[in-house]
Amino acid sequence: MGGQACVFYGAAEFSRDTDLAILASSENLARLRKSLKELKAEVIAVPPFEARYLRKGHAIHFRCNHAEALGMRVDVMTKMRGVGSFPSLWTRRTTIEVDNSTIDLMGLPDLVQAKKTQRDKDWPMIRRLVEVNYFANRAIATKEQIRFWFLELRTPELLIELAGQNRISAPLLRQRPLLKALHIKDETLLAKFLTEEEENQRQADRLYWMPLKKELETLRHARTSSTKP
Amino acid sequence: MVTPEEIVGEEWAAWYRLSPQERWRESEKLWQAYFYLGGSLDTQPDTQSPFFDPATSSAGAAHGRPSLRILRRSRV
Repeated sequence: MGGQACVFYGAAEFSRDTDLAILASSENLARLRKSLKELKAEVIAVPPFEARYLRKGHAIHFRCNHAEALGMRVDVMTKMRGVGSFPSLWTRRTTIEVDNSTIDLMGLPDLVQAKKTQRDKDWPMIRRLVEVNYFANRAIATKEQIRFWFLELRTPELLIELAGQNRISAPLLRQRPLLKALHIKDETLLAKFLTEEEENQRQADRLYWMPLKKELETLRHARTSSTKP
Repeated sequence: MVTPEEIVGEEWAAWYRLSPQERWRESEKLWQAYFYLGGSLDTQPDTQSPFFDPATSSAGAAHGRPSLRILRRSRV
């Protein structure tokens, strides 16, 4: 009756796709094409794999047909709402070594920004990402971490605790208005403000995607028309 | 100080307390169990995603490979 059962019935999923953020230079795209060819990856949706769509903010979706990665999805993008440019992402990346290979992961603050979407599933994820970081580092926190937590924590109890130990600067208050309510120490009120903040971000994401979705619809329509006999 | 248990309960708190390396290793074990149970790499449709395109959703079963057979199921 646990997680595996939820996976079986299709309600729970752990991430099986690979999202790649890349610099859309011609050299990079050529290297990516070569790697995707090795994976026998095919574009499975609109838009087609062209730099102009990536530069506009679209993602390109692939499905791999190589026996060792059969069915694996790879999504490629170069631009995300609210997230810095690729060079800044690259500077802030986290590099890990797995089985003698290195993997570059998006830095935590950038990942949190990228997750501020219209989808339900991203919001509990943001909360957990910041909570883990807070619990792991609160004993000896840097100024940068404190700033990050003030801007991104989504847990009322932890925001109140943080404010009890650190001064909130005027620029932070301007950046995140709900911080003004921290001195009241009212978790219910804070939860309400956090929900409003989330809804504002979700709405901003819907607006951001509106023209892009329209373009996707046009491309889908063109694809359907061209495949009709 | 607020403890992770107060916020997320014991199970998640234990996950939080692992190091990133330990979480990675645990996740690899989960993958092995997932494949053993017949899990597929193909993702399920994400209807809330702006990228969602019904035409490209996988036709495969959510529970994965053909060797996984359902011997009994509820009426719902």
